Amino acid sequence: MTTYARPGSVDEALELLLEDGAAVLAGGTDLAGQIDRGISAPGLLVDLQDTGLGGIAPDGKGLRVGAATTLADVAEHTLLAPYAAVTTAARLAASQLLRNQGTVGGNLCQHTRCWYYRGEEWNCWLGGGDTCFAQIGDHRKHNLEEGDCISAHPSDLAPALAVCGATVVVRALHGEREIPLLDLFRRPTADNRSLVTLERGELVVAVRLPAPPDASLYLRTGERQAFSFPLVSVAAARHGTALTVAAAGVANIPRAIDPADPLAGLPGHPQSAWKRQVLETLVERALVTLRT
Amino acid sequence: MSRFVRTRTEMEGRYEDVWALVDESDDTESWAPDAALSLVGRPVPRQDGAARAAGRARFTVDVRLAGTLHAVVLRSPVAHGRVRSLDLDGARAVPGVRAVIGPDSELSLTTRSPLLRGEPGYAGAPVAVVAADTLEAAHAGVLALALDLEVLPHLVDVEEGLREQRFTADPTDEARGDAEVALAAAEVTVELSLETPGQLQTALEPHAAVASWEGERLTIWVSTQGMFAARDELARAFGLRKSDVRVLTEFVGGGFGAKQGAGFEALAAAELSRIAGRPVRLVNDRHGEQLDGGRRAASRQTVRLGASRDGTITAIDADAVIGMGQGGWMPPVLIPARTLYRCADVRALTFPVKTNLRAQNAFRAPGVMEGTTAFEQAIDELALALDMDPLELRRRNHTDIDQVSGSPYSSNQLLACYDRAAELAGWAARGELREPQPDGLLRGMGCASQIWWGGGGPPSHATVRLDSEGHATVMTGIQDIGTGTLTSAQIVAAEELGLPLAHVRALGGDTAPNVYGPIAGGSQTTPSVMPAVRSAAAKVRKTLLQLAGDVFEIAVGDLEVSDGRIRSRDGAIDVEVTEVTAKLGDATIDGSGSRGPNPGGFVVHTFGCQIAQVSVDAALGEVRVERVVAVHDVGRIVNPLTASSQVEGGVLQGVAFALTEELVVDPTTGIPVNAYLDDYKIPTIADTPEIVIDFPGIADENLPTTGTKGLGEPPIIPTAAAIANAFAHATGRRAVALPLTRDRVLEALA
Repeated sequence: MTTYARPGSVDEALELLLEDGAAVLAGGTDLAGQIDRGISAPGLLVDLQDTGLGGIAPDGKGLRVGAATTLADVAEHTLLAPYAAVTTAARLAASQLLRNQGTVGGNLCQHTRCWYYRGEEWNCWLGGGDTCFAQIGDHRKHNLEEGDCISAHPSDLAPALAVCGATVVVRALHGEREIPLLDLFRRPTADNRSLVTLERGELVVAVRLPAPPDASLYLRTGERQAFSFPLVSVAAARHGTALTVAAAGVANIPRAIDPADPLAGLPGHPQSAWKRQVLETLVERALVTLRT
Repeated sequence: MSRFVRTRTEMEGRYEDVWALVDESDDTESWAPDAALSLVGRPVPRQDGAARAAGRARFTVDVRLAGTLHAVVLRSPVAHGRVRSLDLDGARAVPGVRAVIGPDSELSLTTRSPLLRGEPGYAGAPVAVVAADTLEAAHAGVLALALDLEVLPHLVDVEEGLREQRFTADPTDEARGDAEVALAAAEVTVELSLETPGQLQTALEPHAAVASWEGERLTIWVSTQGMFAARDELARAFGLRKSDVRVLTEFVGGGFGAKQGAGFEALAAAELSRIAGRPVRLVNDRHGEQLDGGRRAASRQTVRLGASRDGTITAIDADAVIGMGQGGWMPPVLIPARTLYRCADVRALTFPVKTNLRAQNAFRAPGVMEGTTAFEQAIDELALALDMDPLELRRRNHTDIDQVSGSPYSSNQLLACYDRAAELAGWAARGELREPQPDGLLRGMGCASQIWWGGGGPPSHATVRLDSEGHATVMTGIQDIGTGTLTSAQIVAAEELGLPLAHVRALGGDTAPNVYGPIAGGSQTTPSVMPAVRSAAAKVRKTLLQLAGDVFEIAVGDLEVSDGRIRSRDGAIDVEVTEVTAKLGDATIDGSGSRGPNPGGFVVHTFGCQIAQVSVDAALGEVRVERVVAVHDVGRIVNPLTASSQVEGGVLQGVAFALTEELVVDPTTGIPVNAYLDDYKIPTIADTPEIVIDFPGIADENLPTTGTKGLGEPPIIPTAAAIANAFAHATGRRAVALPLTRDRVLEALA
């Protein structure tokens, strides 16, 4: 039995999120699929639509993007135009219908698309089981890292926001903390299989962007020309002469990439090693564009 | 006068001798190839297009009857297992649950194979079904079944099955001449091996049925391509007279071969409805549909060709290993190798391997499409070895004689298709694509030929009824699965009746009138049904003119009807049809027609050629199809608008087969990992190439009265081969397996 609540404020939502089995419902585009396949079975859905967490506003020299802002708004908002990596990532994500519904917070906190994790017939290591079926099975779309789990992270926004220097504002009833975007993520461990560093009762309420980089871009490869998750994607930004690069699809979580050695720490697995060439190519093309 | 005649019919290459009921008095003459027709051959929007676009079309999944129960299927979560326990009574105790059936339940239906199995042989196999007041209660009932399975060993690796000789039927060896000797003697030989993927039909409307009993009469909506087959199957299963089963299938949201007859869904819905005494709706969820809706079987094929230096093919030796799953009809994978080109020395070996997947079933051009995908790549390899233009090689080996039977084709415009496709694609300049491109991509162009049956035949019937307001209805046995065949029937009837299109409506999708039409498969609806429609309309026209003669006191031979007006040859009479029909009062003018047999001595086939242009980003392993030119010979075209739609749909499914669609099965557990829409990639609009379409459109004079052949299958057949050949032209490499995903492309280019 699942109950539904639509709190009228963030504090009210945070209160509800402390309840056992509570789950955040923002756009619901990932959560609905998780519930369908039995990955999540929330006892309480906390719908954020009346909490005022949407919207993009100037914030010092940068911007504050509310966690419930839709990907469609991120793709089209004029204030975000100087952050080309971010708008491109939002525009290339999913499909127009999903972008109209999916949110920034949801895109960052989404679960992996690993077909064993998502499949109803397997209880894999990441889902709390004992076995990473991908490592003994079909892992052509999986990551390039060694680990207990070789799932790949599918967020388009995360690497794009990361190279633009974004931070994530996390709020709980007792207060707020702000962390670099990539610190929102953690690799899953035997005692904690979560991919995010959120504690119980914590909620991503906003992403803050500093002054825009001098240039940025986002390159992605998918399985088809629209409506697919990235197989490998690369975001890159230039601040003066400094280049920052991050990637999705190559590790359990969005990952910073060393422009001088993009494949460092990413040896690949027998069926996923092809992603190394794609990653290397995307980084090379990104750097060529940013340097000219 | 009706007579029985003995004739031979064909469905997807299977021939059968049948008795056909024909009307001896039917003197409808064939339209001459150059006949001046006013409606046939002109683009006409679908008669139900607006209803479809506005969401008013009622598909099976939309049917809601008062008091309907919702059924949910419990499916095997393992590739092979044995039920240890299943708590049917526990499920029945769940509030709202009204009927539950499992493998050991006493059922009122009888079927050749069990409806539910205690030893499921594939993941997704139905084990039990629960019907309840709500979908939620039915899901709760399924949970309460608390299925416990003993997991048994499974086999999904086709090569392993081949080694262990696990077959669903005996392997076949079809040969003429001596291919081995001819290969050894050939001046040039090539060999090509290819793996083709399992492909899921993925109709947007899943398999679905809504069943409702009134006493011993069953009314059932079924999402099916064969409503009469469904009727007969249900009547047999429940011991009913056919006339006590009414199958309704007004709109079908796609079938692509997967929806033959009643299927599990209709049988289960009818059984549950009988138990519960209420209507039952059973609609597969997407996972159930992708696991158990069916698929084109994966194959591993090897083709060896021998030729003389002048390009004459002298030997064809092909084998195919087919991943059949639990069984089913063996798809004719090696038909292209055996029939597409002139060759006296041919051998074709087929190995149907049994695996723990659902039985493969028909998917648009079953067998022939995946066979063409390998064979036509081998032909291009031969062209390369001979240093010959691939189209020229195909022209040189063209034949007008069916290579298996030795009989001539009833018509064959393949050479014209080559010329027209080459012209539309800019084939002569294809070499320029291989020069350095401004965008840094590699480009190439490739072609492939197509052969398929599609001649149709009896039995097929139609009844036309003209009312006092001068409007006609055409009753047919068509189930229009999205192809526009009902609109074609409307066009043919209006042409023959001499009425405006808006005054004619074609009906189908209901077995109650008992006007028989064939299953919507095998590219046979148009060639089978249109002559019957024409004959029925011709009878009504004759009667109408007879009555006009009575009214105007003029010889019938001096009257004609066109565009809704009756005219005398001398021009003295020129009146609306209603001048005559109004005098009918509430009576109607009726006429029935049937499809006569195809003439003996010929083999009927469709032909075509497609040319694809692709770009390749070699560093990212990305292939894009930029353009596909499709020219198909399917005789006379009734409606160019829906004919083009058929080609677009076929090409798009072929593009997907070449680039993205592939059922992936986990080797460890034998369970498909991508039996959902997120990981099973059907193409989007953004993946759609420019599709350039043309038809020779020349009527087949050997086919009865309309000269039309079918177009359902042909357009999907050569697309993937043309794309793979274009890829090879662009890169100089071939992938060992399709689809051309990034991993395979990078491996091929490494």
